[in-house]
Amino acid sequence: MDRRSLLGLLGATAAVAAAPGDLADVGRAIHRRLGGASARRVLGPHQDATVVALTDVILPATDTPGAKAARVNEFVDLLLAEWSEAQERDSFLAGLATVDTRAREMFGKDFVDGTPGDQTKLLTVLDNEAAQWNAKPRGRRGPEPFYRRMKWLTLFGYYTSQVGAEQEAHFAIIPGRFVPCAPADSTAGSE
Amino acid sequence: MPKTYDAIVVGSGMTGGWAAKELTEAGLETLVLEAGRMVTTADYVEHVPTWQVRFRGLDDRKTRSATQPIQRECYACDEWSSKFFVNDHDNPYTTPPDKPFLFLRGRQVGGRSIMWGRQTYRWSDLDFEANLRDGVSIDWPIRYADIAPWYDHVERFVGISGEKLGLPHLPDGPFLPPMELNCAETMVRDAVAKHWPGERVLTIGRCAVLTADHNGRSACHYCGPCERGCVTRSYFSSVNATLPVAQATRKMTLRPHSVVHSLVYDRNRRRVTGVRVIDGQTKHAIEFRGRVVFLCASTLESARILLNSKTPEFPNGLANSSGELGRNLMDHVMGGGANGKINAPADKKPVGRRPNGIYLPRFRNLQGGPKSSFLRGYAYQGWSGREGWGRGTDMPGFGADWKHALREPGPWHFTFYGFGECLPDRSNFVEIDPTTVDAWGVPVLKIHCVYGPNETALMQDASIAAAEMLAAVGAWDISPFVDNNPPGKAIHEMGTARMGRDPKTSVLNAHNQAHDIPNLFVTDGACMTSSANQNPSITYMALTARACAYAVNLMRRREL
Repeated sequence: MDRRSLLGLLGATAAVAAAPGDLADVGRAIHRRLGGASARRVLGPHQDATVVALTDVILPATDTPGAKAARVNEFVDLLLAEWSEAQERDSFLAGLATVDTRAREMFGKDFVDGTPGDQTKLLTVLDNEAAQWNAKPRGRRGPEPFYRRMKWLTLFGYYTSQVGAEQEAHFAIIPGRFVPCAPADSTAGSE
Repeated sequence: MPKTYDAIVVGSGMTGGWAAKELTEAGLETLVLEAGRMVTTADYVEHVPTWQVRFRGLDDRKTRSATQPIQRECYACDEWSSKFFVNDHDNPYTTPPDKPFLFLRGRQVGGRSIMWGRQTYRWSDLDFEANLRDGVSIDWPIRYADIAPWYDHVERFVGISGEKLGLPHLPDGPFLPPMELNCAETMVRDAVAKHWPGERVLTIGRCAVLTADHNGRSACHYCGPCERGCVTRSYFSSVNATLPVAQATRKMTLRPHSVVHSLVYDRNRRRVTGVRVIDGQTKHAIEFRGRVVFLCASTLESARILLNSKTPEFPNGLANSSGELGRNLMDHVMGGGANGKINAPADKKPVGRRPNGIYLPRFRNLQGGPKSSFLRGYAYQGWSGREGWGRGTDMPGFGADWKHALREPGPWHFTFYGFGECLPDRSNFVEIDPTTVDAWGVPVLKIHCVYGPNETALMQDASIAAAEMLAAVGAWDISPFVDNNPPGKAIHEMGTARMGRDPKTSVLNAHNQAHDIPNLFVTDGACMTSSANQNPSITYMALTARACAYAVNLMRRREL
């Protein structure tokens, strides 16, 4: 399929928006329409949807956009595709699968199919388990729980995105000044 | 007949930039040879945010571990600034298997002055007299009075922000206004002053970052990551400050991609007459001629050039009649310290990213004070702030309330990190590895360097004393530590062509002039006779300017 027929499929309105460089967006829209394979490089459609759901429960939209709007799932996929060692990638995907295992044990459905209440209930359990793991002495912790890894990825992916850095954290590239003891609730120039 | 320059400067970094400035301002036609590529302010990336680099600052670790497995040990060799560090495959060196050494290098116009830590502290006679007093190694051929006017000279140009303290062992300079301490740092300063009055003093770091417009360069705008460059030229580097002045004289020829292989020696005149260069791009050999040569290539590269410049008269390396060339390699021992959390005001936080921390000058083995079980001493750098979103991973919870809670800054934390003096030792040395060449066919160094018991004792003491001070301020979660850093990691390597009074035991005289070859000067860290514990760059700069004035005077009197 060439670019012209891609744009044709999307219709004229989308074509106007699809400036050069937005081909990835075009691709995503196509995939949504065709309902087929994931636009991600490592995560399959269900895995991708699970990551989106997890990140959005951890960092939801409030008065600022959440992890979903910041496309943390795409950053996670990039790390899995280009940054992670094979063993790390396998470990992440295996951990992701256990979320569904736990979801089915708890509410009889995959995580993405649970109600917001179901999802919060499971994450409360997983969050407690991560806290217990963290409370153990370093030598006796065993492998890091998947959820803790996911929580870190969500934080990092969100606060290093433009949405998270600028809108939630009020990150200023050029603060222009240093105020050593500013009010803690001031926003200008902080991270 | 090829052109003969008045002066050739090898290296364009911290000291090469100074030599270029001073020599061209004195009217000398000066050729500056730089092994690496051109760098201008267009290469700077300090305002590129995380979301505009591919891995958001987690770095392209697969590429980095393949091409820069050694350089990445430096904190500054990151997703933005790794381009200012060498490719380890093109630039090999070797060590004995039991003596790891980190050789962290920037080969480009500006050298490591682009990514340096910017901390600037004068030495005093506590340091210049130390070898003589302790009976260690050889005496420095200079004292503080010899270098003090040159500290003034370079500091006035560089622009050093800092607080005057009136300490005899850490002399003040013509400082710009100091940066400010944050609330936690002020608390620690006051507690330290109360518990160790007259002994320990906490101050803001003295640094080569402008707090006011200065010599055509702008005051800092507190964006934070200086090691990525600075479009407002607010911190000192040769690219930002010295090379533009040299360029403006129209006396400088700056030649990037010029890998210096060795020096050319005329046995009849007992002078160096030029420099053998491998063009970095074509790999063709070229020679340049000059009346005086300044080696400013860095401690280890200058030693390497001299060791690679063997002649029948100097079979063990040029200007090495003493046998000391390559010997007495030092690097500050670092990493003894402690961190903890401070009960500073919860309703305050710093705004803006101050590219500078605190400093606590040496307090052990001062003249007239108590003696420790070790020689010399250490100073602390340190930093403090409030935790941000990074604490979220182990902050219980998730969801909207938890996201909101992360908007509040976390606890105040504080770290003391010790930098200790490294004693000169002949058995820490570099030699040419006859089996290995770099990408340009130049034989490389084999580096033999280990810390001794005195360095270890300094860092143990630094860890304990740091924890004591945190306890005195009522800190909690206090963790003393001693990082096991290999030599080289502080990137304060020095020695290998030391200054001294006696040509039999030193390579350079009191003016950084080779005892054996009057028109050869070495003014980078290679010249150092001891290491003190202060960050060394400002001392290299002062010695370079001083040596340039000396050389210019000799040339005017036709005595070179």
